[in-house]
Amino acid sequence: MATLNYPKIRRAGRWFDVRRRRLGMWAYTLNRITGIGLVVYLYLHLGVLSLLARGQSSWDSFVSLARSPFYLGLDVVLLAGILIHGLNGLRIALTGFDVGVRAQKALFGILMLAAAVALIAAALKIFGD
Amino acid sequence: MISMKMLEIPLQIFRYREGEPPHYDIFTVQVADTAHVIDAMDAVWATRDRSFTFRRACHHSSCGSCSLRINGVEKLPCITRVMDVWDGHAPVRLDPLRNFPVVSDLVVDVSAFFQRMSAAGMTITRSAEPSLPLSVDDLAATGVLSRPVEVPESLSRFNRFENCIECAICMSACPTMATDEKFLGPAGLAAIYRARQKADNPSDVAHLLGLADGEHGVWRCHSAFECTAACPQAVDPAGKIMALRRELIARRFKVAARAAAVVPRTRNYSAPAGPTKHGGNGA
Repeated sequence: MATLNYPKIRRAGRWFDVRRRRLGMWAYTLNRITGIGLVVYLYLHLGVLSLLARGQSSWDSFVSLARSPFYLGLDVVLLAGILIHGLNGLRIALTGFDVGVRAQKALFGILMLAAAVALIAAALKIFGD
Repeated sequence: MISMKMLEIPLQIFRYREGEPPHYDIFTVQVADTAHVIDAMDAVWATRDRSFTFRRACHHSSCGSCSLRINGVEKLPCITRVMDVWDGHAPVRLDPLRNFPVVSDLVVDVSAFFQRMSAAGMTITRSAEPSLPLSVDDLAATGVLSRPVEVPESLSRFNRFENCIECAICMSACPTMATDEKFLGPAGLAAIYRARQKADNPSDVAHLLGLADGEHGVWRCHSAFECTAACPQAVDPAGKIMALRRELIARRFKVAARAAAVVPRTRNYSAPAGPTKHGGNGA
């Protein structure tokens, strides 16, 4: 009997399917998106650092580019990823220790509020300087 | 007398046959406004398409066999009223459970689910029918019992898992199950938790905790809590997974503390400098 099995890459799409799901699923999906984003950033960062091996002029030209508003905006996006992933990770660690399991939705809300406040303050600092 | 209104309800049903590409068919059937989704499915089978395949048996959320996804969310159609899932316009979409191979239409192969239950050595017996109030005090209020019965705290903890009807809804709702076929999953881990509570023999406890601590055990859970949210019987599989984690972590701390206590101190850095019996300076 042949059954219908979807390939793994298609099934991975279920990580991001939050339609009609509860807050815990939104937290799960946010963690996946930010986690994948941070891994991609890590490799980009290593690529950028490799410019140092090409000499001072390569590095200086990158630094001038990194001061543009577009790159500063990317810094804010990066910070958002770090804050959401880190603070949501704190929730996962706490619930993983069987702490605050019943209050996991409230915990997520409070931590994301803290992330939003920190992100706004950081964005004001980044664009204000 | 209850007045009933008849509804013309459209159903968008996932269809699959071996050798054919999966697709959706839309059927419109007439059911009472008090009907449940399973009644509409029965009407499709009886009046529209006799080849439509789905599972059902008890019609009152006791057997768990009719579980599927209604508008994308895991539910038991036997206790889900049509009026609660139909907006009055768009068809109600019916899909098979996720994370299981589809055999035909809404029928999935749930053998992987029962293999996980067997791994825990779990024989499932329920303490109460879900259609009855779960609290014994409520039972007394209905007159089923003559007086309230006091249930020990430890027993009421057991009852939460005893209520599992093996519908596999939690396994479908879990996003981690999508990409790790070997993950024991919410039901499997809740069964392990229940079996561990019952186990007295240290070797049984070690076996169960070893299963939970394995590569595809509790650590694969990433706290989406969808299993608990979707469970129609309030078994709370996510809570059981977290409780297993707590026990595993506590055991590791105890093992580490015990190991630290038996390791002899080879050097005492706080000892005052001076000659030792071996002739060194003691530093």
